[in-house]
Amino acid sequence: MDSRPGDPIDGVPDYVTRRSTGFYRALNPATKLAVAALEVVAVFIVPGWPGPGAVFVALAVTALASRTTRALILIGLAASPLVISIMVVNLFLVPGAADPIFRLGPLAPTVTGLGVGLLTSARLLVFSSAVALAYVTTPVDDLLADMSRRGLGRRGVFVVGAAVQMVPRTLERAGEIMDAQRARGMDTEGHIWRRARGLVPLAGPMVFGALTEVEERTMALEARAFTAPGRQTLLRVPADTGLDRLLRWLAALALVAIVALRVSGRIG
Amino acid sequence: MMGRGAGGGRGASSGSGADASIGGVAPAVDGGEAVAPAVAPAVAPAVEFVGVSFAYPDGTQALDGVNLRIEPGERVAIVGQNGSGKSTLVRHLNGLLRPTAGRVLLDGRDIRDVHVAKLAALVGLAFQNPDRQLFGGRVAAELEFGPRNLGVRGSELAECVKSALAAVGLQDEAETNPYDMGYSRRKLLAIASVLAMRTPILILDEPTTGQDARGVARVRGVVRATVAAGRTAIAVSHDMRFVAECFGRVVVMRGGRVVLDGTPGEVFAERHWSELQAAHLEPPLPAVVGARLGLGSTPTDAALVERLKSNA
Ligand SMILES: Nc1ncnc2c1ncn2[C@@H]1O[C@H](COP(=O)(O)OP(=O)(O)OP(=O)(O)O)[C@@H](O)[C@H]1O
Ligand SMILES: [Mg+2]
Repeated sequence: MDSRPGDPIDGVPDYVTRRSTGFYRALNPATKLAVAALEVVAVFIVPGWPGPGAVFVALAVTALASRTTRALILIGLAASPLVISIMVVNLFLVPGAADPIFRLGPLAPTVTGLGVGLLTSARLLVFSSAVALAYVTTPVDDLLADMSRRGLGRRGVFVVGAAVQMVPRTLERAGEIMDAQRARGMDTEGHIWRRARGLVPLAGPMVFGALTEVEERTMALEARAFTAPGRQTLLRVPADTGLDRLLRWLAALALVAIVALRVSGRIG
Repeated sequence: MMGRGAGGGRGASSGSGADASIGGVAPAVDGGEAVAPAVAPAVAPAVEFVGVSFAYPDGTQALDGVNLRIEPGERVAIVGQNGSGKSTLVRHLNGLLRPTAGRVLLDGRDIRDVHVAKLAALVGLAFQNPDRQLFGGRVAAELEFGPRNLGVRGSELAECVKSALAAVGLQDEAETNPYDMGYSRRKLLAIASVLAMRTPILILDEPTTGQDARGVARVRGVVRATVAAGRTAIAVSHDMRFVAECFGRVVVMRGGRVVLDGTPGEVFAERHWSELQAAHLEPPLPAVVGARLGLGSTPTDAALVERLKSNA
């Protein structure tokens, strides 16, 4: 056959071979992973505000252009309990801080604590947004197809695929199991200890469901010649352009540079 | 076997039918922290959907202005193609989902502010997928969970468990681990675990899938006993034979709306076949045979045989 990757193939529905398009979305999954890795390292290795600051600007621009702002804001909101607890802990408990903003009995929030809390929160939010951006702009199929094109074995692809898809499936299953128990009068609106006790009925079906699902998926794959010898034909091949390669090289160089600067003590 | 005692069941003071509250749920609505959900009334509350629409967070419009009233003690089957909104509809009855527009009423009262845990005393819902519902290590423990949440204890609890198990033919399995049972029996167990709560309204989502003839017969027995005890039985089903033989009323849904509503004889009559087809439903075989033979609407074997005899 003379077809190039990404071309329509006879008898294969369009949605299988169709490539992702749009700003940032169209990039190769590996490129997006490399960029995310650079961002994560920059956030944590560059001391002080420049790290999260710069990454935040980059993320904001990318998110606006790729229309993913809403998803990222939602993910940020989901992290808010964590952010609040980080703020509280740091405000009051940073060791050695002696610059109270005010005193109220035993409570003495410190300026140092405020700074540390804000920076830690910013790092957390920017870090999770960087990972989330790669996730929301990359269909799982693209990621898996690209990995298998790069020579990761089928088993590897299966494991990664199962792990990545586990998250939304698990959330969905947890919601439904919770509903089933609420329908039988489980009180999720009462006291804390009651609600905690309510989690017990979730554990069984969660674990059991996850196990049977993996087992069934494995058998379904066997039945579709997953373990057959020989090379698989990839129907969906994500694009990998010169721009992708350039971006990956730049990300790798920048990453090495940041680490080198940090290790040699030139920053921080 | 499954009837609530005429004395009104669970021990606490019972809200009688004349009570304006929704089956004694009122104290909780008024904000008081009820210790245990109040007793369900002996007579089931009337169910009413008024212009109910519902969209899932992802924007899927699953219900689109449903109007439906179900009287106490009715047996109603809800049918329709996959994705027509059947499961979504019944989840509105115990507050798991709340309408984005319109109202759901029990005995004329809007249940908007009534917690799911309180509604559970009135509406028992057995889910489509038993694996998302069962968690106990023993069948008996699984069955105790619901009634216990409703405040049932002691010998009354044991009685609830026993009669529910007997109703689905699992009386010898009290000590079995549910995960050692096959799908069809887990499904029966999930139904029993809701039966044990003795709610005045019983909803079964796809109760006959995966059941052999004996399993289907058990489910029929459950439905029959439920209405015999003055309670309301609602089932979502794709099994047209089960629907025609076991229910007095059939509600057909399509695209989140009610498109047909009547007795099996009316709904499966030949003049509605095009509508049924549009909803991707097939009338039961005796209805087709009866129509071919020009015998009128004969949705069940029994109706067909009777018509044949009287014509002979
Ligand atoms: N949690 C959910 N999030 C988003 N959409 C949903 C969700 N659950 C159901 N839907 C969608 O809502 C519509 C109605 O679904 P519902 O489950 O009520 O249908 P159903 O009639 O019970 O179908 P089935 O016969 O397959 O059980 C469908 O289009 C379905 O895809
Ligand atoms: Mg359904």
